[in-house]
Amino acid sequence: MQKVLGTLFRFMPFLFGIGFVAPVIAQSIQALGWTLPYGIPPVAFGLVVGGAWGAFANWSGRWI
Amino acid sequence: MDMSATATATAEGRDLSALSSQELMRLEKAIAERFMGGLPWGAVTWGLGNLAIWLSLWPLTLLGALPLWAAFPIATLNVMLCYLPSHEAQHRIIAREGEPLFWLNELVGHLSTIPMMLPYGVARLTHYEHHKHANHPELDPDIGTKSNGPWHMIFKSIAQRQPGSAAGKSYGATLARLGTDEAKRAGLVAVVYQLTYLGVLFGMAWSGHALVALLVWWLPRQIGVTYIQFYLSWAPHHPGAQMGRYKDTRSFRSKVGVIGSMGMEYHIIHHLYPRIPLMRTPAAYWALRPVLEARGCDVKGL
Repeated sequence: MQKVLGTLFRFMPFLFGIGFVAPVIAQSIQALGWTLPYGIPPVAFGLVVGGAWGAFANWSGRWI
Repeated sequence: MDMSATATATAEGRDLSALSSQELMRLEKAIAERFMGGLPWGAVTWGLGNLAIWLSLWPLTLLGALPLWAAFPIATLNVMLCYLPSHEAQHRIIAREGEPLFWLNELVGHLSTIPMMLPYGVARLTHYEHHKHANHPELDPDIGTKSNGPWHMIFKSIAQRQPGSAAGKSYGATLARLGTDEAKRAGLVAVVYQLTYLGVLFGMAWSGHALVALLVWWLPRQIGVTYIQFYLSWAPHHPGAQMGRYKDTRSFRSKVGVIGSMGMEYHIIHHLYPRIPLMRTPAAYWALRPVLEARGCDVKGL
């Protein structure tokens, strides 16, 4: 259990990027009434940005 | 202790330089005793009421009864206000172990910090270490807030919440150093808290309520925690260079006043007499100020 939790928390920034940042971005775009180019769905855009940002935070140790 | 002497103890009009250190300590304690005792119902109401207001924001925003632009500042205020009632409980000011209302003390301690997701056990154990080792570069769990000035402090507060920050792990490191069964339990509870918090955020976000989770919890928590660290941890101990009973804390005048700084202008009284309730620390400060000056405390700010 300790190993599982340890792994989970080691990758938590990336998981946070997908689990929270991505839907926040997607729903912010929808709330603002924006349309993304090439018909990109907001959730896909959110996942790319959130996932990349989370991966960066995991690798570098900081979000900003 | 002669109760009549305690009730009337005062430093007013006395030549404190003529007192020995022991006499000064007796006078100091006698004055402080005047401000102890009783149940601070204000802290109980504050802690539980604040939590009730924060909890009500969830159904109100989810049902569309309250717009998010209005809920966000309320939620931020809720987080800013949530720590101090628990702090009273941490010091057993509401009730001590063995007293009939100790359950109320623990209830306030556990519940009031839910908006900032700080488990009571972690808060209490690390806070006691902060009192024992205030300003110690290795043993004070809050030493990470030591900064050159207010903006530097805000920068450090945000920096410490980054995933790779060592300073951000100081509470966990303190629990590990303590190594007691109580500390281990507190650490486990902290893991449960963190998983619950993330579970709620992720669940709300992916069920279409990401902005509610962002503006009622995540962002208010970021702002509230920095505010709490600023006034409870940094300002009263700045510059944090000295240790010792009369040197580790100062009084100061805040630009946002006594209410805006949640009474932390008088935090020096809390470090000297942790069982004086928060709302009595201003009065205790003014009664004790001549003694604090005689002791060489930094009270020039107030």
